[in-house]
Amino acid sequence: MRTFSELEMDALTEAFNLSLGEAANTFSAIVREEIELSVPTIEIVSREELTLRLESTQPGGAAERLCRINQHFDAASGFQTDALLLFPEHGSLEIVRRMLGDDTSIEHITELEQDALAEIGNIIINSCMSSLANLFGTEMSGSLPRVQSRTARTLLDDKAATDVILVARIGMTMAAHNLSGFVLFIMDVPSIEHFMDQVSRLFRLPQHGESQPS
Amino acid sequence: MDCCHLLPDSVDMGLILVSGEGRILLWNRWIEERAGLAASQVTGITLAEAFGPHVDPRVALVVREALDFGWSARLSHALHPMPLPLYPPGGGRSERMKQSIDITPVASEGRYHCLLQVRDVTETVRREALLKQQSRQLRLDLQRLSRAQVELQRSEMRFRELARQAPAGLFEADAQACCTFLNERCEQILGHDLEHVAGTPWINLLPVGEQARVRAIWCLAAESATRFAEEFRYTRPDGESRWMRAEAGPQRDEHGRISGFIGTMLDVTEFHERAIRNEFRANHDGLTSLLNRDRFERHLRAAISGAREVADRLALLFIDLDDFKGINDNHGHHAGDTVLKTIAGRVRRVLRSEDMVARYGGDEFAVLLTGTGDSDTLDAIIFKIHQAVGLPINLGHCHVRIGCSIGVSVYPDHGSDPLSLLTHADKAMYTAKRSRTGHSTTPA
Repeated sequence: MRTFSELEMDALTEAFNLSLGEAANTFSAIVREEIELSVPTIEIVSREELTLRLESTQPGGAAERLCRINQHFDAASGFQTDALLLFPEHGSLEIVRRMLGDDTSIEHITELEQDALAEIGNIIINSCMSSLANLFGTEMSGSLPRVQSRTARTLLDDKAATDVILVARIGMTMAAHNLSGFVLFIMDVPSIEHFMDQVSRLFRLPQHGESQPS
Repeated sequence: MDCCHLLPDSVDMGLILVSGEGRILLWNRWIEERAGLAASQVTGITLAEAFGPHVDPRVALVVREALDFGWSARLSHALHPMPLPLYPPGGGRSERMKQSIDITPVASEGRYHCLLQVRDVTETVRREALLKQQSRQLRLDLQRLSRAQVELQRSEMRFRELARQAPAGLFEADAQACCTFLNERCEQILGHDLEHVAGTPWINLLPVGEQARVRAIWCLAAESATRFAEEFRYTRPDGESRWMRAEAGPQRDEHGRISGFIGTMLDVTEFHERAIRNEFRANHDGLTSLLNRDRFERHLRAAISGAREVADRLALLFIDLDDFKGINDNHGHHAGDTVLKTIAGRVRRVLRSEDMVARYGGDEFAVLLTGTGDSDTLDAIIFKIHQAVGLPINLGHCHVRIGCSIGVSVYPDHGSDPLSLLTHADKAMYTAKRSRTGHSTTPA
């Protein structure tokens, strides 16, 4: 797997920071409530590694379900990615129900709540992608969001084991709630190469393979 | 109808296709019915023109994003309850239909069209509201239930603690008398723990001679739903014999049938022994353990009525020791007591068990002989008494001899009531003493 320099990772963090800020604004406008998204931390990991990580960091243990909102994007400039937003099911339900002014404690997510969550994910992911597309000066078409609820172990079963995952961890704070989630970009190897080239170009970093200017 | 419209018109959702310039290209029948506008009226105009100003601004925004950037978006019912002015078909236009809209770009000749898919979620909203209502109700019921459970647990604990501290044995048994609960004290009294006795009726633990009686009383109480209260002997596993008193009230099941008994078990051995001792003391002379005067006279009265009924004869003997005062004076009161006890035992031994002997006064004894009318038999008995009394008495440091005078009266010859018989015998005794004949039936 290709590794990335510290500079490249910093650049990526900055790119996401800008795009997530957009997302928070859109989201706040819809729910008429202050939403804060924390500065993301960026990592590039394998599917296996991420699954292990998700299992071990779940506060409710490995049996706790995660909500996954998935959209597929095709960039005109040649790369494609699955953008995933992950939240612990319990926490995301709490947020949705709070927004709907509902205190019912049904254990599982209902159809309408799932729809609402799809929209929230859609706003965040679209915002991210639109900022990235703007930054890269490319066009990316996106599919409709799909919501699924699964345990960490089976969460990424439908993705190829060879895919590389770009993980942006974000914290979401609204009123009394703190919710920590992940934005994942799952790309095949050519896509991530392409993606990083764009990042390097954007931040005027030395291109991969070139020597670092002294 | 052309083929292009057949498909959009047959789906159960609203479809609107908007061109890159924002003009409506497709408007299916589902939308026609709910917007109150025919496709022909809206084809070629913008959404804002078709729907007027009453559209959620976010619809226009995401349509724009789809056309310009190729983004897809979903407008959920939760965050945008009724974004388009659509109304239930055939109904009034008072309230908009509840909707959820998907907006997707459709690539066409190097640019994007935008497809809006509108779903009616009225039924889903109703169903989920019902579900949540039921969930809330369920949660309330659950809370009530768990509160009741806590209260039950508390009262159970209270009962257990009371039962643990109670000085009395407490037990609970089913209608067949099998124990279902014993407190610690009850296990202690019985010398068995609950596990050991649970399977069999507790009455089986009693001595064989007591079982039938107690079982009959238990069955009667169970059949008549009355209180069970009984005393019985009980032999503990260590062999100690005790007296028990069990008292229990019936308990009913939900159908009102007797399901068992709950009550107390007391070890009443001490009460029992004290009562026996008290009764003995009330009826007997403390020194000689013979009947006392009071008891003897009651016996006499009863014996007279009995003899009257069957025309029987009774003999009443008064025995007075000769010169008992001399023994007391010479050897002390202790010696006197020994003499009285010895004489009492000897007189008792020469008589039949059905005959009564009493210590009547200081050194006076009374004897009641039933069915001894024959004067020869009577004489023989008197002779034996004289003989027995006259034997030497061991006082430890010496032996003494003592004689006695006996007065006799016979029912019905000398009287038909206790007083006249007693008076006659008393006088006869004095006559005998004076005449030194030893005994007499004839008063002076």
